[in-house]
Amino acid sequence: MIDNFALAISHGLMMLAVWLLLRRPDLDREPGPKDRASAKTGQAEDVPGA
Amino acid sequence: MRDLVFIAFLGAFFAGGFRKPFIFVLVYVYIDIVSPQRLTYYLLNSVPISMIAVGLCVAAWALVDDKRDTRVAPRQLLILLLLLYCWLTTRTADFPVEALDKWGWVWKALAFAAFLPLTLRTRLRIESLLLIMILSASSIIIVGGIKTIASGGGGYGSLNLMVDNNSGLYEGSTISTVAIAIVPLILWFTKHGTIFPPDWKVKGFCYALVFSCLLIPVGTSTRTGLLCIGLVAVLMLRDIKRKVLYLCLLGMLGLIAIPFLPSAFTDRMSTIKTYKADESASTRLAVWKWTWEYAKDHPFGGGFEMYRQNQIRYDTEKIGGTAGNATVQTKLTIDKARAFHSAYFEMLGEQGWPGLILWIAINLIGIVRMEVIRQRYRKAPPDQAWVSPLAGALQAGHIVYLLGAAFIAIAFQPFIYMLIGAQIGLDTYLARKRSEASWRPMKNIRPAMLEPAA
Repeated sequence: MIDNFALAISHGLMMLAVWLLLRRPDLDREPGPKDRASAKTGQAEDVPGA
Repeated sequence: MRDLVFIAFLGAFFAGGFRKPFIFVLVYVYIDIVSPQRLTYYLLNSVPISMIAVGLCVAAWALVDDKRDTRVAPRQLLILLLLLYCWLTTRTADFPVEALDKWGWVWKALAFAAFLPLTLRTRLRIESLLLIMILSASSIIIVGGIKTIASGGGGYGSLNLMVDNNSGLYEGSTISTVAIAIVPLILWFTKHGTIFPPDWKVKGFCYALVFSCLLIPVGTSTRTGLLCIGLVAVLMLRDIKRKVLYLCLLGMLGLIAIPFLPSAFTDRMSTIKTYKADESASTRLAVWKWTWEYAKDHPFGGGFEMYRQNQIRYDTEKIGGTAGNATVQTKLTIDKARAFHSAYFEMLGEQGWPGLILWIAINLIGIVRMEVIRQRYRKAPPDQAWVSPLAGALQAGHIVYLLGAAFIAIAFQPFIYMLIGAQIGLDTYLARKRSEASWRPMKNIRPAMLEPAA
């Protein structure tokens, strides 16, 4: 009973964390100053939300 | 039933990896810490899930991951050097068969620690790694915490942490040290987490988990855990603004806690002072002396599991009688094949002086590097306010581990190598960020360059 409760909490939170991570583009790539510079000149490679 | 739930969970976890390949790293971390194969009865035992996860991690990194400006820290090379050295000592080990057994898991821990920082390219990856490490450990810590309260205090070697197999993080002393070592990291999530933004629910969970962590040394009645709690309290003093208030609260909490501590715990803790009468402590001192002597004759170590050849004789002293008329009873005890009970002597005996020096270098450099980062980002702008506290938490956890390691043979504990991997990842990530920040677009520089030299 206690085992299952602890496993459910920890595993539930891990599943939720993975679900949230899948929706975060900054997991793989963070915008650097180079991106900001090219974005200013209108040469952004991929515009978020486009 | 539990098997099916675990399979569904792992299936979903692996599926996440096919959307975002970094998730495979998290899957491996989870499998390595929780060992779901050991919690289920049959289904997962027949599939090498750990090997599949690590294979997918490496393949995903090699094929898909962005490798521009990849940095390798000197510590990764030291870890690889230690790996190579351990391979050499395994080939000439005093106990070749047993040594191969330990080598079987040690090389994975070391290789993964060297590989891990290559994947930690973003802040979110570092955070998610630490989150999964903490949540994985929490599956054992929450069980231990609740059972400690429910059973009125567990007892040394008797707290049931879900599996009978007394290995990995499921071993009492190891989980006490690790549980206390991650306390500063859990507290970091109450202020700087972005996956679960710190609201009252997240903070509530974190504080409850910290409480559970503090209960683990009580439940397992491990003296090492008590020392680690003391150390973590001192280390946290560094970053607290109202130090006097903190000390007063700490003292009050300690006083309040004492009546609630189970007698199994207080009895065992009182043996810290009377260690001479205690066989567990006397054995340690005798084994350490034996290992020291062994290293004089075998400076390059005897390979994994070499402690099996030790034969030790030691005296335990018991002081009886009244204060004015004390009598000392000495009892001779003979023992053999006693484990090291210390990571330092484990390294010295198994890997000799070169191995011990490498291992200490890997650990000490980590503590020094975290201190450098802690100081450098102390007054960082708000978008980097998370850096200094994280470096402090990783450092505090590491120092606690090094204290615990003095009394438990956990030189190759995979959890700690993941922590070291996270430290290196943070370090290389920040170095990359600094070099990016110093980059300026050419068009801004060109006019200055074109100006004729005066």
